[in-house]
Amino acid sequence: MGKYVLKRFLTFIPMTLLMSFLIYGGLELVPGDILNTMFPPDILAQMSPAELDVIRASYGLDQPFIVRYFRWLFRVFQGDWGKSMASGVPVKDVIAQRLPITLELALTGLVISAILGSVLGILAALHKGEVIDMILTAIGVVGQAIPQFFFGMVAILIFALKLKWLPIGGRTTPQMTHWYEHLRYLILPAMVLGLTQTSSVMRYARSSMLESMNRDFVKTARSKGIPEWKVNLVHGFRVTMTPVIILIAFRLPALISTSMVIENVFSWPGIGMTFKDAVTAQNYPMVMMIALIIVVMVMLMSLLMDIFTRIIDPRVRLQ
Amino acid sequence: MKQLTRAEKHLYRKFDKIREREESGANAKRKKSSRAVAKFFSNRLAIVGLVIFSVIFLACVFAPLITKYQAETVDLRNILKAPSGIHWFGTDKVGRDVFSRVLYGGRYSILIASLGALGGAVIGVLLGSYAGYKGGWFDKVFMRIGEALTSFPTMILNLLFVTIMGRSMRNLIIIFTITGWVGIFRLARATMLSIREEEYVQALHAFGLNDAIICFKHMLPNALAPIIVNITINMASMILEEAALSFLGLGVPMQIPTWGNILNASQDMYTLEKAWWMWAPVGTTITLFVMSINFIGDGIRDMTDTSVQG
Repeated sequence: MGKYVLKRFLTFIPMTLLMSFLIYGGLELVPGDILNTMFPPDILAQMSPAELDVIRASYGLDQPFIVRYFRWLFRVFQGDWGKSMASGVPVKDVIAQRLPITLELALTGLVISAILGSVLGILAALHKGEVIDMILTAIGVVGQAIPQFFFGMVAILIFALKLKWLPIGGRTTPQMTHWYEHLRYLILPAMVLGLTQTSSVMRYARSSMLESMNRDFVKTARSKGIPEWKVNLVHGFRVTMTPVIILIAFRLPALISTSMVIENVFSWPGIGMTFKDAVTAQNYPMVMMIALIIVVMVMLMSLLMDIFTRIIDPRVRLQ
Repeated sequence: MKQLTRAEKHLYRKFDKIREREESGANAKRKKSSRAVAKFFSNRLAIVGLVIFSVIFLACVFAPLITKYQAETVDLRNILKAPSGIHWFGTDKVGRDVFSRVLYGGRYSILIASLGALGGAVIGVLLGSYAGYKGGWFDKVFMRIGEALTSFPTMILNLLFVTIMGRSMRNLIIIFTITGWVGIFRLARATMLSIREEEYVQALHAFGLNDAIICFKHMLPNALAPIIVNITINMASMILEEAALSFLGLGVPMQIPTWGNILNASQDMYTLEKAWWMWAPVGTTITLFVMSINFIGDGIRDMTDTSVQG
């Protein structure tokens, strides 16, 4: 086990470095002089080429690309993530403030989709070919095709504007006194995010359950006279859950990026909205670090999942 | 004689039909391709998908014949009109006919998605076949690049490319090509790897055939069906991605009426509540279109599935 963890970790490091190189190198390809985005054009016009060279040298811009990349990487490891070009606030502070807000939304959405998706998927599998299975499959098919923001708009129209049950967007109000008032703002975006993710979890759980129900050990359990519900829940369900958990865990970082659209529909002030604003304003340090953080999260998650599946599923360990 | 159940009777009728066909010699005449077509049409949802797809696709292509309004014509005397016989889907904030905007917008959205999916398929097939056939460093390098690309969540990757390349329709097609080739690359590569050692391939080698001909003419057709299915999946997700990017204001420039841009223009609360016709028809069209592509993809998968009867 220890050997495996070590081996897996050794592939994680070069991959992460490759990703950071791709992000840094990619943004290096942006046409135009970086100084144009740092100074207003009138100040830039007054400066002589010699002065510009001094400024370039002071930022290390006169160095070759590869040197700058390693300097940047070194600074990132030291915790200096640069400053936002829009506000001058350190990127690290912005991410530290916005990421938890997104995680709050993404995790709630994840829990909703995980519970709903696996329960409905298993329900559909147990009633394969019956009406309930067909209805759930149909809902799943629509759920995969509907654009999330369109679903969000419909939800706002019904629950916020027509029924007036929930606020149309935002996260807090200034006069908020109790933490639970904040929940009212979370419900709608989290439901929309969760429900759009449910259909794929459901499809996955259904096929996984159908597969495990035909396995020999489930048949054995049944033939031993164990009650049907126990066979399904204890024996079938456990094996079903392994791939479903993997799918769900993989979802989390991806969910942060999918929640970007939802955040914009509901004006949820998370990292997705920050990223969108940074892209719109060509705020490179911000774009770079948010992309890097999310990619590292994706890779870390897949690393943890590989280790986790080895722990819970004895069949993987044997291979 | 034992009483037959309904299912059994049904089965017997089917067998009788098959025997009749065999005896009359009709089966021998049936071409191989019609078998695949029959399989496709035995999937009812695939037919539904094909019908919806054709209706939306043809309506967009022949938009000038269907609607007399232009997508761009501003008519300030008729702003925010509810749907009626004159304007089927009503008009928007500057009096443009929403129905014609949906049709003309579909032209751009479908064009972007299909060119992106096809471009990705061409690159994926070329690189994947070569990587699988030859192996070596070429294979290793592109496997790594593919792995790196798929580690990025789609939206993040798209937005990174938008930051690098800037917003335009052409750039969006290029971005979708760059992000869309990996799946097909892996499919083509895996097929090549699995049949590289087959006897018929070695026989072709012995005949002295050129590698490109062996690769593309004799080996690649084995992967054709999954590749086509993958193209449909890509196209469906690219329709959704274009809509999402344009909705965020980071896809196609606003003056081009793609489906995403039409939705982008109706984000404010007034439109959301009072002018539902500005966004509901577009959203529904996108949903139906993506659904129909997915159905067609499933149908194509059935065509080559040996366990499905035609």
